[in-house]
Amino acid sequence: MDSFVGVVNYLVFFAITAGIYAVLSLGLNLQWGYTGLFNIGVAGFYALGAYTAALVSGPPPDAWGGRVVGGFELPFLLGVLAAAVVAGLVALLIGLPTLRLRADYLAIATIGIAETIRLVLKNEAWLTNGVWGLQQIPSPLYGLIHRHAMGFLRDRPDLPNWIIQIVSRTYNWFYLLLVSVILFALYTLLKRLAGSPWGRVLKAIREDEDAAAMSGKNVFRFKLQALVLGAMVMGIGGALYAHYVRFISPASFEPLYGTFIVWVMLIIGGTGSNGGAILGAVVVWGIWAATDFITDYLPFTAPQGAALRILVIGVLLEVILVLRPGGLLSPSRRNRRPHPPG
Amino acid sequence: MDALARVPQLIVYGLVSGSILSLGGIGVSLTYSILGFSNFAHGDMMALGAYFALAALSILSGWGLSNRPLGPLSFGPGLLAALLVAVVLTSGSVVLLDRLLYRRLRHAGRITLMISTVGVALGLRNLIQFIWGPQPHYYTTRIQRAVAVPGLGVRIKPDQLFIVAVAVALAVLLHLFLRYTKTGKAMRATSDNPSLARVSGINTERVIVWTWIIGASLAAVAGVLTGIENKFVMPELGWQMLLSIFAAVILGGIGNPYGAIVGGMIVGISEEVSTAFVSTGYKPAVAFGILILMLLVRPSGILGRRE
Amino acid sequence: MLLLSAEGIFAGYGDMEVLHGIDLTVSEGEIVTMIGPNGAGKSTLMKAIFGLLRPTAGTVHFAGEEITGRSPDRVVRLGIAYVPQVENVFPSMTVHENLEMGAFPLRGDLRERLDGVYKLFPALESRRRVRVGRMSGGERQMVAMGRALMLDPKLLMLDEPSAALAPNLTATVFERIEAINRAGPAVLIVEQNAKQSLKMSHRGCVLAAGVKCLEDSGPNLLENEHVSRLYLGG
Repeated sequence: MDSFVGVVNYLVFFAITAGIYAVLSLGLNLQWGYTGLFNIGVAGFYALGAYTAALVSGPPPDAWGGRVVGGFELPFLLGVLAAAVVAGLVALLIGLPTLRLRADYLAIATIGIAETIRLVLKNEAWLTNGVWGLQQIPSPLYGLIHRHAMGFLRDRPDLPNWIIQIVSRTYNWFYLLLVSVILFALYTLLKRLAGSPWGRVLKAIREDEDAAAMSGKNVFRFKLQALVLGAMVMGIGGALYAHYVRFISPASFEPLYGTFIVWVMLIIGGTGSNGGAILGAVVVWGIWAATDFITDYLPFTAPQGAALRILVIGVLLEVILVLRPGGLLSPSRRNRRPHPPG
Repeated sequence: MDALARVPQLIVYGLVSGSILSLGGIGVSLTYSILGFSNFAHGDMMALGAYFALAALSILSGWGLSNRPLGPLSFGPGLLAALLVAVVLTSGSVVLLDRLLYRRLRHAGRITLMISTVGVALGLRNLIQFIWGPQPHYYTTRIQRAVAVPGLGVRIKPDQLFIVAVAVALAVLLHLFLRYTKTGKAMRATSDNPSLARVSGINTERVIVWTWIIGASLAAVAGVLTGIENKFVMPELGWQMLLSIFAAVILGGIGNPYGAIVGGMIVGISEEVSTAFVSTGYKPAVAFGILILMLLVRPSGILGRRE
Repeated sequence: MLLLSAEGIFAGYGDMEVLHGIDLTVSEGEIVTMIGPNGAGKSTLMKAIFGLLRPTAGTVHFAGEEITGRSPDRVVRLGIAYVPQVENVFPSMTVHENLEMGAFPLRGDLRERLDGVYKLFPALESRRRVRVGRMSGGERQMVAMGRALMLDPKLLMLDEPSAALAPNLTATVFERIEAINRAGPAVLIVEQNAKQSLKMSHRGCVLAAGVKCLEDSGPNLLENEHVSRLYLGG
């Protein structure tokens, strides 16, 4: 029974993390899947969201680390909102100089902004506590739920052990519900947007930007909106992450890994499909978790194991790009062999 | 005032790092101009070269090839031989990679290709980490003393002079190659007008292979030079420089190898000089700042054609 | 003697089929002009012959050999030269280098061939070191044609040679084409400026909507009222 509980608890953790990644994938899908924007700075917006939520909702600065600002202990939803706004603002700043130019330029600029964000997080201790990170980020309604769960257990001292194990982790179930609700809300919103006239313009821009421009659309404005909105979604993902793990530091946002895995999720799930973004998150996170177990059994050192796992994901990406570039859920049109240039 | 006094010495350091950035940037520009996409794995190709050299060095010295320092340099024939081996192995690996992967994606569009290069970048870096581990590996543990440059009030290490000399020599060789050899002209023609190049009888597949070979060779040299400069190599060696390399390439005009040289020098010097005024932790942000500035003011770069 | 023979060519771009079964022949020493409305498939046919496009059906024979779908760099070595309508020079290279590229498959001394081209286009000789990107449309067209002639082709294919030129230069271009033809190669031309081209052509074909609708000698087509009204501007 105990191992069953262990598995269940692990699955809850797995589902929460997959859900957070799914939120990030949805954001990337809006930018890349709909509009064709090549954003390699996902981890940057994610980090901005997490840190903003932590600074807005977290405790005031303590004696060590060097931080002097933030910690307003504001409610969870305000923190999430602030996270979205900050991520969106930075996306705006990045989009303004780059969106009129080639995709390569946006890519490099987003790599640059993610790197710069990471440097600021590391160096500006007055704001972020530097490498010490931000601790004790409160989880919403934690006190309330935990008290009720503990009260429930106290009133029934003869419950079997496995029930105690599950109930004492009630908060995680709640958080899973919270993440699911937010994920579902974002999914519905984005699906609505996809079908709207606005969404159709985005897709037209991805297909053939010149044609879209010639039909009178202000392509730049639409791209900017997509970039900002997508970044806001990523910021929300970051906030969810911060409130879950309750401790963040610059090391949690290794730029390329965070960004890369989200790209792989979206590509495998199906570029352009919101359902695909979510599916891809679950599948790739599943593969990632599976490789964790497998490398435990192999005679490699810890860094070697970690490197091998990323290598596996990298190879997986290349294989998918060559064999089934549309991913699992993308409309079949994208998976057809493209035509050679005429 | 103290900051300004350090500038001349920082410029010297900038020349050294700029030389390495230039060598890396040339490959990126060539790939862009002939293959049409930005290769985000270029930094990790440099790391691959550096590690191939590391391995070759230990194998060669096991076979008896000495690495006794030549003159004031910190290394000897062993490292030079290892460098050649690294160039060959890196070029070979990249050509193989093109055959297995990039070639099949060529019709899938530029952005898909670029995504795949990000995958390759991560893959190469983690392959290196898997084989060698994340800790630094040393080319040499000797400490080298800098010598004063007469009259200029700055100091430079013999290794650093070597780096700059190699970069200059390779740049000149590349220029001669592009200008006067048949393959070089074929590369220029393909970059100018790929379909007309085919129409003229140029085998563009061969040109592409040559582009990879030259780009990868320069990247390997740049990687080894980085190892010489820092004395050690780490798996993130290449990725750390990627932003600076791309800033250099865009500054000089993407697609123009001469622009990459100019851009590399400017970015290298700017990064070093900036440390007099800003914390060293922010060096990469300097490259980023230059990049954004260029995109705002003149995206086609200094030597680039107007878009 | 028959030089080029394209039979039953079907070709297109992606899902869109542009040519629906075209036959075309060019004999040695001939000038053949293809005219017709935009989108008729004239340029597409040239690309299909030269290997820039793979025909979905049909065959192409040149000098007795089948060359259907062969890649351009091999077709050019057999003696067909092609000058595209646009982007037909290497703009960042000099006149001299552009001509050198024309003879790329050859080894050895190109001086004789270069002299030949400079004799045909004397204006280019004094500007051999100028970057072609900086030259005027007329000069570029000369460089484009000169490049194609460097390999002494048996068949020269020109896609709208007068398209980018000022009207006063058109006559010069066609005069040069006639001179080139007198010296050797057969010439296949696609033209909008049909009148001038047909005047000097041995044969002309009218292509419309991907099929060949009419074929006759050049002067006859010029006289043809129907053709004249539809394709020659009355």
